[in-house]
Parts: sequence; C-alpha cells; structure tokens
Amino acid sequence: MDAAIRTEGLTKVFGETRALNSLSLEVAAGEVFGYLGPNGAGKTTTIRLLLGMLQATSGQAEIFGIDCQHHPVEAHRRLSYVPGEASLWPSLTGKETLELLGRVQAATDTAYRDVLIDRFQLDPSKRVRAYSKGNRQKLLLIASLMSRADLLVLDEPTSGLDPLMEQAFRHSVTEARERGQAVFLSSHILSEVEALCDRVAILRAGDLIEVGTLAQMRHLSAVLVEAEFGSAPPDLSQVPGVRDVEVQGNRVQCQVTGPVRPLLEVLAASPVRHLLMREPSLEELFLAIYGSAGAPGEVSRAA
Amino acid sequence: MPPDSRASRRATRVVAAISARRMVRSAGLWGAVFGGYIAYAAWEYATSYPTVASREKIALTFGTNAGFSALLGQGQQLATIGGFTAWRAMGVLVPVGAVWAMLAATRLTRGEEDAGRLELLLAGQTTRRRAVAQAGAGLAAGLALLWVITAAATAAAGSPARIGISAGSALFLATAVVTGAVMFAGVGVLAAQLAGTRRQANGIAAAIFGASLLIRVVADSTPGRHWLRWLSPLGWAENLHPLTSPAPVMFLPIAAFTTALAAAAAFVAGRRDMGAGVLPVSDTPRPHTSLLHGPGGLAVRLDRPVITGWAAGLAILGLIGGLVAPSAARAISSSSAIERTIGRLGIQPGSAAYLGIIYLIGSALICFAAAGQVSATRAEEAGGYADHLLARQVSRWHWMTSRLAASTALIIIAGLAAGLSGWAGIAGQHTGLGFAELAKAGLNIIPPALFVLGVGSFAYGIWPRLAVPAAYGLVAWSFLIELLATVITNRWLLDTSVLHHIQPVPAAQPDWTSAAWLTGLGTLAALTGTGLFSRRDLAGA
Repeated sequence: MDAAIRTEGLTKVFGETRALNSLSLEVAAGEVFGYLGPNGAGKTTTIRLLLGMLQATSGQAEIFGIDCQHHPVEAHRRLSYVPGEASLWPSLTGKETLELLGRVQAATDTAYRDVLIDRFQLDPSKRVRAYSKGNRQKLLLIASLMSRADLLVLDEPTSGLDPLMEQAFRHSVTEARERGQAVFLSSHILSEVEALCDRVAILRAGDLIEVGTLAQMRHLSAVLVEAEFGSAPPDLSQVPGVRDVEVQGNRVQCQVTGPVRPLLEVLAASPVRHLLMREPSLEELFLAIYGSAGAPGEVSRAA
Repeated sequence: MPPDSRASRRATRVVAAISARRMVRSAGLWGAVFGGYIAYAAWEYATSYPTVASREKIALTFGTNAGFSALLGQGQQLATIGGFTAWRAMGVLVPVGAVWAMLAATRLTRGEEDAGRLELLLAGQTTRRRAVAQAGAGLAAGLALLWVITAAATAAAGSPARIGISAGSALFLATAVVTGAVMFAGVGVLAAQLAGTRRQANGIAAAIFGASLLIRVVADSTPGRHWLRWLSPLGWAENLHPLTSPAPVMFLPIAAFTTALAAAAAFVAGRRDMGAGVLPVSDTPRPHTSLLHGPGGLAVRLDRPVITGWAAGLAILGLIGGLVAPSAARAISSSSAIERTIGRLGIQPGSAAYLGIIYLIGSALICFAAAGQVSATRAEEAGGYADHLLARQVSRWHWMTSRLAASTALIIIAGLAAGLSGWAGIAGQHTGLGFAELAKAGLNIIPPALFVLGVGSFAYGIWPRLAVPAAYGLVAWSFLIELLATVITNRWLLDTSVLHHIQPVPAAQPDWTSAAWLTGLGTLAALTGTGLFSRRDLAGA
C-alpha cells in the first residue's frame, strides 16, 4: 500500500531563504502524524508543497503514490486541507460555503456534515462576516472532515477554538483514525499533538531534526526527578547520568539520562520524604530540543 | 501633561499620518490631472478660437444647448477664455473629484475597519470618534494637496497674456473645482459610519452622488428649472461661477454641508458598535447556492454588485448620450473647432459624432472595469480565498479560465448595455441611427477592455504583485494619450493607447480588423498568463 505522504529530498528556496531543506518523510496510511516547529520553521511551506501550491526547488512529494507537484488535482482527490488562516468569503453564509466547498471536492458525506455541524455547534445560516475567528475555523474543519478523505492535512486547525470545541476536534480526529484515514497535523498545541498523534516530526529552520513516536523520543531524552529530603540534600551532581541539578532548601530537581540505578542508590541512602520521577511532556521535549538541538541537517531518527 | 494623555495624542496622530500617507500618491496624481486638464482647456480655447467672432459663435451655440448643459452644466460667458475654461473644468472635474474623494473616504474609514486594522489602533490609546476625526484629518491633508497642485497649475497656465487669468481668479477656480471632492469626502465618511460594510457605504455614497448629479442635470437642461440647482451639492458648486461672476457666498452652503456631515459622522462613530453600522445588514439571508458550483459561478456571485454597477453606469451613459445626441449635434455643427477635432477622427458631425465621443468615454470606463477584474482575481489569491478551491478538485487552469470567462461576460454585458440603452435613448428622434448602429457601438468598445484584461492576466501570471498596477497603468496611460491626442503627432506614441485602436462608432464603421487583433492578442495574453499562473507559486499579500 502506498504511503499517505512520501517526500524525498523536498527543498524550497525563496530568494536567499532556504525555507525547507531536503525533507525526507513518510506518513503511513491511517497514521496520525504530528508536525511541530516554531514559527517560520517551514511547516506551512511543507504543506503548500504537498498541495502543489508551491513549486519545489528540488526533491519529490507524493500523496498515495501520486506526484502532487505535477498532478495536484489527482492528489487532491485523496486529501482534504484546512488552512491556518481562516479567511473565507465574507458575503457567503456558512451553508453556502459548505455547499460550494462540498461541490468542488471529491466527495461529501452529507449525513456526517450534519453530525459535524451539530457537534461543533455552528449556525450555518449566518454570513461568514458575522462569524468569530473560531466559528470560521469550525466551518473549515467541517468542510474538510465531511469529505471523509483518505488524508486530512490540517495546518494549525484549532488555533481559534475554545476547550469544548477542541474536544469536539479531538473526537473527530479519533473517528477519522478509526475509519482508517491518515491525518497530518501541524500544530502549536503540544497537548493536542501528544493526545492524538502516533508519530511526531520536529522541524527547525527548514530542517527535520526529530521524527518518531513519543515513546521513542522520550527514551532519548532525560527523566525528570524531583525529591524532597528530611534534612540537607546529598550532592547529586557527581552521580553518573545526572545533570541540571537545582537545589532549593531541602528540595532537589534534576534530570537523568541512561540508567537510573546509580541515582536510586544514592537516594536510598538519604532521608527522602517525597520522590517524583516522570517522563518529559512533549512541551518539555520540544523546549529541550530547541534549547540544544544540533546543527541543521543532523536528523535524529528515533525509529 | 499626563503621560497617558500624551500617548493617546500620539496614537491618534498615527491614524492621521497613516491616512494622509495613503492619500498623498493619489491626491498628487489627481492634482496633476486636474491642473493639466485646466491648463489644456485654456490653451486649446485660446488656440482654436483666436478671433472675437469665432468666440461669439461658439458661445451662442453652447450657451443655449441643452445637450451640453446636461453634460457639463450651464455655461456662462463662453465667449471668454475664462468662461469656457471654467465651464469645462467645473463640468468634468467636480464630479470626478467627488467620486474619487468619496471612494477614498470609505476606504480610509470603513475599509480599514473591515480589514481589522482599525481594531488594532482602537485597542490602543485612541477612541472610535477620535480615529474617525483623525482619518478625516488625513483625508483633508490629501484634499489640501489636491488643491495646492491644481491651484499652482492653474495659476501657472493662466499667467501668459494670451490666456490672462489672474492669480486670484485661478485660486478661486482651483478652490471651486475641489469643492466636489471636499463635500463628497464628507458624504463618504458619514456613509462609512452608517453602513455595516464598505460595499454598503459605497452604495449609499454613490446613491447620494447619483441623485445630486441627476438633479443638476435636470436643472441645467430643462428650461425654468434652474432653481433645482439649490437642491444639489453639485449645483452649489456650479453656482460658484468661477472666472465669470464669482459668488463666494456659495462656499457657505458647501462649508455648512461638509461640516454637518463631519459632525454627524463623529456623532455616529461614538455611538455605534465596532464592525457594525447603524443601518441594518442582514447576517442571515436566505441561502442561494445555484451559482456556487465552481470558480466561475463563485466569481459571478461575488462580483454581482460590481457587474450590476458597471452595466448600470454604462447604460446610463448610453441613455443620456442617446437622449441629448440630436441637440448636441446641432451645437457641434456650428462649432468650427469641434468640427475640426471631429474631422481629425475622420467623421462627419451630427448625432452620430456626439455618440461616437460618448462611446469613446464608455470604452475608457469599460477598460477600468476590466482592470478591476484583474484586481479582484489578485485579491482572491492574496487573501487566501483561492486556496480553498485550489486545494480541492479545481486546477489552476480551471480556476483562472473560469474567472476570465466571468470577467469577459461582465465586459460584454456592460458593452451591450451601453449600446442598447443608447438605442433606447435615441429611438424616435429621427437621427437615422438604428438598432444595428448602436449595437455595433456597444460591441466596438468591448475589444480594448478584453485587451486590458489579457495584459493584466499576463502580468498576473508572471508577477502577481505587478498585475494590478499593470492593468490600471495601461488604462490610465491610454486615457492620458487620448486626452492629449489632438496635440500628439507621433504615431508610435498614439499607438501605445489601447483606446486609439477603435473607431468612434456609430460615427464611423467599426474597424473589425483592429477589434480582432485586440481580442486575439488579449486572449493570447490571458491564456499565456493562465499557463504561467499554473506553474508559479501561489503568492500571499
């Protein structure tokens, strides 16, 4: 079976700026894939290349085996897209917009559209002009989800949604995954990516610097330890694998990479009152990567 | 002064400065057009009518002609350079200035609000009322620039002895000429506060302008109805009578009207909601989805008001032209200078000659409509709207050709509307002009517009940010060349005007060869542009 998305050395240069540098990536059919990176990292450039809206400087991109640079309309038959900017024709109503977008996409499940309108609590009788940003975003999500396309390409789709609607969105993505649809989710909301995605890729300044499952990424990174002692804490900075030790009175925070046994032995010999060990959240991983990632081009494959 | 009050003043000055900066370029350009037009009118009169006898003859003809009075207003002392120049200048420039200022006013107020930029400023250290006042100050700066350039050009053109317009009179004329812009800037600012959207604001302002113009036309072309001029702001401007019997007292109603509009705008601005108007706008209309099948239908649906507006405007031009053509023709036949001008176009004087000139004006207008279509296409892409279709089952080629088809339909409808309404106006007046001649006149103005659409689309395919200036630039250039056509002798220069390649139908037979070339080259350029568009990156604003 063809991958939902496959890119090989995909590169885009704007004038002097290398917006995307030799991206090689594969997203399997039915997979929910998170695409992360700070502003200007090249996320939207990747998506616009996949949609054929930008011409690649070099490299290839395929959607279900279809060259999306040269046959965009055929590729679009298999995908549906939600842009980050919710700009829609202000004089059309929500219903008219859904009708139009439904007619120009490969398929529309009208029964599911009505379920989505209900789920996202959208009043489609209003003109787009009268919608808030969140409501415009909902309209675009409904238009995309109602296509039941094999691949959903979502560019920061929840930036204007309230927490309740964010739940409705997560529910819809889970539903899509259960139906075997693939989802390519570019997002800044890391808890959302953490909750939904099977795999995650992290981009910086046009370079792919991490790709893998969250569990794999966590194995590569440190475990966070917080301990509170009955008296002055022992010196942990010399324990193998321990770094970033912070002491505040009787409390100590540090990170451990590799085996935790040496640290546990030291702690067992000390008057520990309270101990917390946890894996880093995606946000902490993300911040750690941006604080310490290697030179551009060094891709760490956590697979 | 407390620091927050200083910050607040600085913030409001920002609005004024931004508005003024956005006005400067177009005010400078229009100032040059106004000044140039006045200078040219004075020079042409002095050259074409050198003797007292020739001047008296022309005065007798135009002074009593309803057709020309309807078009330009009632002339006074047309046997003098001052009288004739003021008549032409006021008749053409007052309404042109009014339309320009009206559109600029709604753009700087309601347009900024619709785009969400005003919200950013209002979230800071300013209030809605102050923001409107400051946008008004920016507008006023633009109007002042328009006046300065017009006045300077008029004074310079009037100083030679053979023209002999004093500096004081020149200043009075320049002031009178910009009153239309001043009053209708006020109309635009108030309409922007009343309406819920910029489009609605333009509609309200255009309706007020249309009513003022209609009252002025009726007052000037119907015997015994001159008092009607008092009911129209454009009539007040006409009553200023610059260079003949100046009536500065007429500045009073003009100033009072403008002040009242500005005060009303400030009052309404402080009382309404951001992003909403005072007049109701239905946000839940009945859905109409019949056109919404693809990019072409969508373009028609979105541009329906524009299409209706252009078709109606050209229909009115044709209708008025047709109605007054026979009486205007009598005036032309007794004016040797106009006969010579018409002779240069290679046509015989008569109703057909008058209509030929009217349809040349129509061809310039329809070219502007074509440039507007290029601008609308660019806006769809720049605003990210096109993405929704182009990410679905719509190819670039399909999107662009559908839009081109819709634009072509607009141009054809507008051309035919001009032709058929001209026929309606002239029917039953025994001019010898029939349906076929007027239909041909309407068709004849279509090819230049198709050429403009093609050139604009070609530029759009290569370099999207260049498309709008290229299309409008071509039209403005052609218009300028036509304005100066009587003094330009270089054939190559004349040929650069797209309007120079059509005949003044119905006074002459259409040049079908030129029409075919314009249409063919336009189509080729448009299709090449479409091909280039299919291969380039989509570009945001």
